[in-house]
Amino acid sequence: MQVYYQTAMKTAIVTGAAKPDSIGFAVARGLREEGCDVVVADLYEQGFAELKDFLCIRTDVSDPVAVQEMIDKTVSKRKRIDYLVNAVGGSWGITQRDLTAPPPRGFRGLLNCTPEDWRTILGANLDSAWYCSRAAAPHLKKQGGAIVNVSSVAARKGIPPGAEGSSGPYAVAKAGVMALTRQLALELGEFGVRVNCVAPGVVSSGRLKKVLSFSQKNQIPEGSMAQIPMGRVGTVDEIASLVVALCTDDTSYMTGVVIDANGASYAA
Amino acid sequence: MPLKGLKGRKALVTGAASGIGHAVAARLRNEGVEVFATDIHQTGKLIVCDLTDQGEVEDLAGKIPAIDFLVNVAGGPVAPTRKNTLPSLPKNSLVLESIKDVEWHAVIAANLTSAFLVCREFAPKMKARKFGRIVNFASIAARRGSSRVGVHYAAAKGGIIGLTKTLALELGPHNITVNAIAPGYIKTERIAKAAWGHDSPAAEQAFIASLPLKRAGKPDDVAAVVAMLCSEAGGYVSGATLDVNGGWYFGP
Repeated sequence: MQVYYQTAMKTAIVTGAAKPDSIGFAVARGLREEGCDVVVADLYEQGFAELKDFLCIRTDVSDPVAVQEMIDKTVSKRKRIDYLVNAVGGSWGITQRDLTAPPPRGFRGLLNCTPEDWRTILGANLDSAWYCSRAAAPHLKKQGGAIVNVSSVAARKGIPPGAEGSSGPYAVAKAGVMALTRQLALELGEFGVRVNCVAPGVVSSGRLKKVLSFSQKNQIPEGSMAQIPMGRVGTVDEIASLVVALCTDDTSYMTGVVIDANGASYAA
Repeated sequence: MPLKGLKGRKALVTGAASGIGHAVAARLRNEGVEVFATDIHQTGKLIVCDLTDQGEVEDLAGKIPAIDFLVNVAGGPVAPTRKNTLPSLPKNSLVLESIKDVEWHAVIAANLTSAFLVCREFAPKMKARKFGRIVNFASIAARRGSSRVGVHYAAAKGGIIGLTKTLALELGPHNITVNAIAPGYIKTERIAKAAWGHDSPAAEQAFIASLPLKRAGKPDDVAAVVAMLCSEAGGYVSGATLDVNGGWYFGP
């Protein structure tokens, strides 16, 4: 394998990478192409069979004990952690039992969601990024590296009430991910660990396909396609390339940054 | 793996004689991009062009083939002229009262009008080809303000961000992305000479130590982000301003 960046022999953990058609899955493949040894941490064990080149660890990333076990296992098998990509998340339908079920219908806003919805969604999207970053940090600090978080355009502009397959707590959690990015950038900068974030707009992941299957024509979770100046949704590969670039030396002078990738639908 | 989507493309890089523009041209060439480079003065194979002059920008378009990437780097806190093509930067802060009318107009022209004229010349050709990537240069001075470079430079670079967002909306339907990069303390030769913004080497060291990444930036650091935006990784990024500043300031 021809290696282009100084990523060879490095170990990356990607959470939420087991589902085909997901951003995490494409990131795991992209980092593998760069020569990284990639660890996939996910609840979706059904996907592990497709990930033969990867060390797959079943992990509920919203559980700090499980996260610590995953990190310990990674270090015992791979001796180091260079990159952490927190790609786990979702606007709802993110518990074990939801993994294979069709997404629930309707919109769960802040005024009609339950405390359980709130805790589940914040747990998967925000707590998970903190637990994984905190547990990986001592290992990242040893030689430097990068953390990349995946946020959402929902953190910038909110989600229009009524949007199918989405929720209010998701917008709140993803805004938290942006603040977490900045705070970690300050705490980890002196150790040569960069922390950045990608905020995708609507992306043609497996999840989107499910939502589109019961949405009206030309309607997407954020409203109408007409709201995207580029006239299309993003591809999983575009977002994954951006995440990979935030791991490599191409972004060695960037930290604490959020890169919005939304087809010009919202300029922050 | 090399960045995807760069090899075989054509790019125009302005302000390419030195500093960040020079690094951008070199990086894109390394990625297999055919680069047309311009500056206000002759060095090597650069095409000489005063980008504040609409006629010269038109002439420039006549000299090069249709391009895929447009990187508008030309600019700086002190406007160049044909006689003084790389003017030294002042050692002290530029305070409001010290800025003359002529300097205001020259700095706005060099940093903002130039980008407008070049975009207006080249965007229609990108539209016709249904592909394009435009990267403009803003500055930390527009993001957080600056106590050194003067209001004219900060205002011009703020203008670049507005121009970038608006062009992203206008050109998005034509499959053209438009983004800006806002560099922080990037130690180009010119900035190193002026110890830009710092009264003493000790003051510079203290400033650098205050940055989360504990170092000044290099032109190559910025050039790499340009390459990233032109590659597959930038395919769905448009209207954005990317801070490349070592954690100095986080943007909105």
